Amino acid sequence: MDSQAAPLPRRDFLTLATTATAAVGVGAFAWPFLDSLRPAGTDVGRLPIDVDVSAMKPGQQIAIVWRGNPVFITRRTPAALAALKQPALAPRLRDAASSAHQQPPYAANWHRSLSPEYGVVVGVCTHLGCVPGYMPDASASIPIENWPGGYACPCHGSKFDLAGRVFKGAPAPYNLPVPPHHMMAPGTLRVGENPPGETFDFGDIVQI
Amino acid sequence: MAKNTDLHETRQTVTYTGVAGWIDRRLPVLTGFRAEYITYRMPANLNWLWNFGAILTVVLMVMLATGLFLAIHYTPSAADAFASVEAIDRQVPSGWLLRSIHMTGASLFMAALYIHLFRGLYYGSYKQPRELLWITGLVLLCMVMLTAFAGYVLPWGQMSYWGADVVGKAVGAVPGIGGWLEHFLQGGDAPGDVSLHRLFILHFFMAFAVLGVVVVHVAVLHVAGSGNPKGIEPPAATVPFHPYYSAKDAAGLVLFITVFAVLVFFFPAIVAEPENYRPANPMHTPADIEPEWYFLPFYGILQSVPSKFGGLVVSVGAIGLLFLAPWLDTSPVRSARYRPVYRLGIVGLVVAFVTLGLVGRHHAEGIWMIVGRIATLVYYGHFLLVMPWSTRRERTLPAGVEGTP
Amino acid sequence: MSRLHGLAAALAVLGGVSGVRAEVPTTRAPTPAHVWSFDGPMGRFDMASVQRGYAVYNQVCSACHGMAAVTYGDLAGIGLNEAQVRQIAASHKVPGPLDDDGHPTRRPATPNDHLLSPFPNPQAAMRANSGVVPPDQSRLAMVFPGGPSRIYALLTSYGPAPAGMTIAPGHAYNPYFDGRQTAMPQPLRDHQVTYADGTDATLAREAEDVTNFLAWAAWPHLAERHRIGARIVLYLVFLFVLTILLKRKVWSHVH
Repeated sequence: MDSQAAPLPRRDFLTLATTATAAVGVGAFAWPFLDSLRPAGTDVGRLPIDVDVSAMKPGQQIAIVWRGNPVFITRRTPAALAALKQPALAPRLRDAASSAHQQPPYAANWHRSLSPEYGVVVGVCTHLGCVPGYMPDASASIPIENWPGGYACPCHGSKFDLAGRVFKGAPAPYNLPVPPHHMMAPGTLRVGENPPGETFDFGDIVQI
Repeated sequence: MAKNTDLHETRQTVTYTGVAGWIDRRLPVLTGFRAEYITYRMPANLNWLWNFGAILTVVLMVMLATGLFLAIHYTPSAADAFASVEAIDRQVPSGWLLRSIHMTGASLFMAALYIHLFRGLYYGSYKQPRELLWITGLVLLCMVMLTAFAGYVLPWGQMSYWGADVVGKAVGAVPGIGGWLEHFLQGGDAPGDVSLHRLFILHFFMAFAVLGVVVVHVAVLHVAGSGNPKGIEPPAATVPFHPYYSAKDAAGLVLFITVFAVLVFFFPAIVAEPENYRPANPMHTPADIEPEWYFLPFYGILQSVPSKFGGLVVSVGAIGLLFLAPWLDTSPVRSARYRPVYRLGIVGLVVAFVTLGLVGRHHAEGIWMIVGRIATLVYYGHFLLVMPWSTRRERTLPAGVEGTP
Repeated sequence: MSRLHGLAAALAVLGGVSGVRAEVPTTRAPTPAHVWSFDGPMGRFDMASVQRGYAVYNQVCSACHGMAAVTYGDLAGIGLNEAQVRQIAASHKVPGPLDDDGHPTRRPATPNDHLLSPFPNPQAAMRANSGVVPPDQSRLAMVFPGGPSRIYALLTSYGPAPAGMTIAPGHAYNPYFDGRQTAMPQPLRDHQVTYADGTDATLAREAEDVTNFLAWAAWPHLAERHRIGARIVLYLVFLFVLTILLKRKVWSHVH
């Protein structure tokens, strides 16, 4: 039996060129597989949503879904707004001045929105992501002293005021995020779009 | 007869160090790979027909990869399957390319499989000691055919639906239990949501089961080693697998892939049946139901036999006959190169097989019925007449050919 | 000329009287060949024509035919930008969610919505169209026997039926349909559509453009397929040469 040993040195140019050219092809072949994992179609979820708020009663909340998350639109009563302005409230809050970047520049005020009457917050607790419940008044089941109205998270007890600011003692670290929004027309609130002239990217916030 | 030890390196020439060595001493993956794919002895005289095993393995990997990524976007329900495939073709980024590769790959896989099989028939690859190799190969053929059938139903187009219906009716032709069996497998009176769900799982599962059986098939191969065109065992000269057959397989593979690419990018219509781009309509049968080309010869046999169950038996028997080859043909001369009558039989077999494919296309009407019956007889004749005859009358190598058969 | 007419009339009368009648063919006429820019392995679409074809589809065909597999977003593939696609989508209405009384609503379409049939179900489609459902056009150019060339031929071949042929009620004569008649009334006429780019919308032009659009709908990735394919095949041929040279080098000692 006539056996052949290995015939030539390994690292010759032709082997290298062939292997390299083949490797390029194999790598390129992976591309359509990865490309197919990109979202198909237009990201319609990123389009702004218009909400009809003309029929909202004072104290009423509407919840919509924006970018897969609940957004609470609350028409605050004058009493609630007065409670928000109380100086005794600020020391109870973790970030009363909204210094953490959780809201657009035009919402870095005492009511954390464009107009005091309508509050717009993303209803996702900044602790571990549960949806807080709307608690405009103190209730017997959740007794809190001096409750100015706001949101209470059922999971681990975080509380937020009606401007979405988190109370001290809550496990949640940040205020509720405020999405870009503006009044398209009196009675129509557009969520997901900044007012003309303003820029704010919701992706830049500290934490949803 | 080539022995296992002659093919594998007996002494260790390479020691592995580091992490690789640590793993290898506990599970000899590197040592094993070296013994089976680097130093492994191969006959030096193999021709290009021996490339198709490697080609099939690579195409199988491509089919599994494209299939997996298609399954990510596919919905296996009667209501949404067609639309989900249209979405893959139109909206999913590069979806059209993945689908096209998968569709063309199915046809090229079957083409390579037939070439691989006919190589085996011609060169006596089924003969002892390779009977188990042959049988595992035929099991793979059956599994792949089942996979291909199930896969074709998934887009739920007109041909998908009516093809499933015809196969269901064929199952129903089995005497006694046929009706029950058809109902049981289909999960209902006719192909529908239930059968589509089942066929999706069957397709997915079977494809990976094929991979498992391929591993067994190659393991069995490495016991006896590869045959060779002369059929002389042990072969006159051997070479190590690497770099000789790694280089040759690479060249053959690239040529095959080039043909693959030309079909995918420039002639996709060859594998795309337009009727299957109409959504399934149980109320309207298309004018010309026919299976994909690789099933046509068996469809031709089915239609040539006047009885429904008889057609099923003769058609399935055509594959069953293949299983018997190692015992029908026990001539010590392996290769058809040195068996002129057997060679004639093979030519007749190939011509009959292709003719039966044409018969299948023409629905065995008129003259095609007669042609189909003759071709079926020629096909069966190779196994039942030529093989036993050759066993008895073609037992010696011609003068001048070295080696004992 | 009048003498010839008189002779022809006499022959016709004689023919009628004697019972010898020219057979009126009812099998569909063979499709005349037509050269398309997308023919062949290196075919491309004339996107200007495809865009005009969309205008024809939108203004004429979509009154009866849907293209359910195609989304408005897919129209970016005919050379429209995102803003145009959004605008086109928004100008169409699609079924929306049920309102608070449980009644169906309609809303403007988004790019992810499909070009639906104007009929809510096949039965309504049949009722409005002499018992025939106008076929969905997503893949029509591919599945219709005769393909784009036959579509073009039938769009441009409406005319009066030959003598002796009975046309069923609600149908029209057209030699390129099976039975030489169709339930589709003539859809295109000269200047049926006004083109934004100012092209003169003759019947032939409209037919050519809408056929190009239907072909695009049936093969939306054709241009990309051919473009990428050329590069890949060239690469593979190059790689094949390398692998063959390497194989021969490796085997040079053996043979």
